[in-house]
Amino acid sequence: MHNLNTVFRFEVIRALKKKTFWITTLSFPLIIAVVFGIVFLSNKTTEDAAKNMSKQQFSIIVNDQTGLVQDTILSQMGIKTTTDKNAAIDQVKTGKIDAFFYFPADLKNGIEIYGKDVGIFNNGRYSAVAEALLQQMVTTKVDQNVRSIVGNQLTINSLTYKDGAVSDPMRQLIAPGLFLVLFYFLIAMFGNQALTSTTEEKENRVIEMLLTTVQARTLIIGKILSLILLAFIQGILFIAPVIIGYFFLHNQLRLPTIDLSSIPLDPARIGVAAVIFAASFILFMGLLVAIGAATPTAKEAGPFLGIVMMLLFGPLYAASLFISSPESPLVQFLSYFPLTAPIPLLLRNAAGTITWPEVFIGTAILIITAVIVIRIAVRIFQFGALEYSRRLSFKEVLVRK
Amino acid sequence: MNENIITINHFTMKFGRTTVINDLSFEVKRGETFGLLGSNGSGKTTIIRSLLGMYIPTEGKLLIDNNPFNVAASLKLGYLPEERGLYKKEKVIDIMVYFGQLKGLSVEKSREWSLAFLKRVDLADKSTIRLDKLSGGQQQKVQLGITIMGDPELLILDEPTKGFDPVNRRLLMDIIEEHQKKGATVVLVTHQMEEVERLCDRIILLKNGKAAAYGTIKEVREKYKGKNLDDIFVEIYGDNQKEVSRA
Repeated sequence: MHNLNTVFRFEVIRALKKKTFWITTLSFPLIIAVVFGIVFLSNKTTEDAAKNMSKQQFSIIVNDQTGLVQDTILSQMGIKTTTDKNAAIDQVKTGKIDAFFYFPADLKNGIEIYGKDVGIFNNGRYSAVAEALLQQMVTTKVDQNVRSIVGNQLTINSLTYKDGAVSDPMRQLIAPGLFLVLFYFLIAMFGNQALTSTTEEKENRVIEMLLTTVQARTLIIGKILSLILLAFIQGILFIAPVIIGYFFLHNQLRLPTIDLSSIPLDPARIGVAAVIFAASFILFMGLLVAIGAATPTAKEAGPFLGIVMMLLFGPLYAASLFISSPESPLVQFLSYFPLTAPIPLLLRNAAGTITWPEVFIGTAILIITAVIVIRIAVRIFQFGALEYSRRLSFKEVLVRK
Repeated sequence: MNENIITINHFTMKFGRTTVINDLSFEVKRGETFGLLGSNGSGKTTIIRSLLGMYIPTEGKLLIDNNPFNVAASLKLGYLPEERGLYKKEKVIDIMVYFGQLKGLSVEKSREWSLAFLKRVDLADKSTIRLDKLSGGQQQKVQLGITIMGDPELLILDEPTKGFDPVNRRLLMDIIEEHQKKGATVVLVTHQMEEVERLCDRIILLKNGKAAAYGTIKEVREKYKGKNLDDIFVEIYGDNQKEVSRA
């Protein structure tokens, strides 16, 4: 226990002292901050430009073949009408007027707009005005409800029930679904560190001294525990700035307001997600550590990370199937095969398409596989320790006593 | 308590079809300094790695204190491997304190001991420097410090003078002698006959995976008509090994 604690602390402290840890960790919220900044600046600039545009006065002539446009309204707005399309176009060409709108009898043929080029952004004012003009004309002639239906502006308030209580599957997906998102990010960001955590000892030739000072099992478990803590720290450092940024800047960035109280918290589903997340994370940390231990250098271990990532996140392509057809053989296979199971299990749990027996079997498979993988990792580390230039084969790991 | 701290019994080691060690048996007595000698590729390091559980023997038993090596056993071991290396990106003092703790010392005790050792080997000003900023010889000194940290009862030193200049070689000899005086058992794997004559009580010379000579230095020299160890080495391994023996 003393040595496990020593290994754990040493690994955590030296990882926290590495620049790469902080660069990787802080780059995510930093990128988010930059993206938010760009969105904010873009919104502000667009808003300012739109305000300026609304203040602009420009001369317009309209040729209306639809019969929708009322002359009285046009004259109130200072817009003239014409019947000579070509003459109006010539006036635009010579700069006598700013814009000419031609509304054909059949609007499916498209409104024609001819305008003076006032720059890539300001040219948009012509179509905006033409559209607003038509909408205003329609508003005066069509019933409000018809407008809502046609304009796709309907507000729908629906309630669904399950077991006599109000149930909202989409909102219920949020809390347990966060574990899936966290798992994805942590594996994506931490996979390489797990993979290279044992190759370093080989590359530095420190392995012989270590193996005669501390048990291989203690070393591997200490490393895995340190990776879990570091992942936890990294997770907090990912999420915290995003949450803080949201609460302080969501008005400025025009982000949608999230009412946390409206998110249902199903303790059973969240608990299952937490267990699947933990078992999956330990399994994949163990697997990556084992691969690292079997390969002589970090460079050689690298390609295996790609294979693991494909196995792990490949099932995301079948995400809709996990929700629509949970009983299909493919979903069942992906849910029970340990190397693909995390995503289907987490997603199905979040969507509520998993049964309790499936939860128990799937989680048990993950936990048992994690234990086996960690034991294999220890064996590989012990026997592959002195393979400084050769990759250890799986057969050798199993055959050696 | 058993007189023998190390017992090698009918040890055979094969790598594929190559037999590196062939039915070898010998003992190392508690408190003695034992020389494990042989030309390059004679299997010296294989014996040590098998003894320390890093290789699984094809046949035979390799015991420390009557049991196969176990890190968790109470015997305090100091091992300086032939393949040298430590955590390159860490500070010297952090590495030494880490190993000190793994050997059961407290953080304070490890730090205190490490600083005293670094002072002794003229590296006091390097304690907070990253290991990879040190020269090869300086790194070796740090590794030697870690090996002898915690007063080991059994010291196994595989080519300990490799890479040391004469001054530091002398320093290493002094350190080994200090541990001898404290009662430690020392197993010295080396080519350096000068070191062997100065330090060892008994030796074994390996050839083709077997013991070509085994006993006290006096017994071995008597067997070879009073020749010195350098000449005995040359006689056993042939003229083509002269360069190796003098390296």
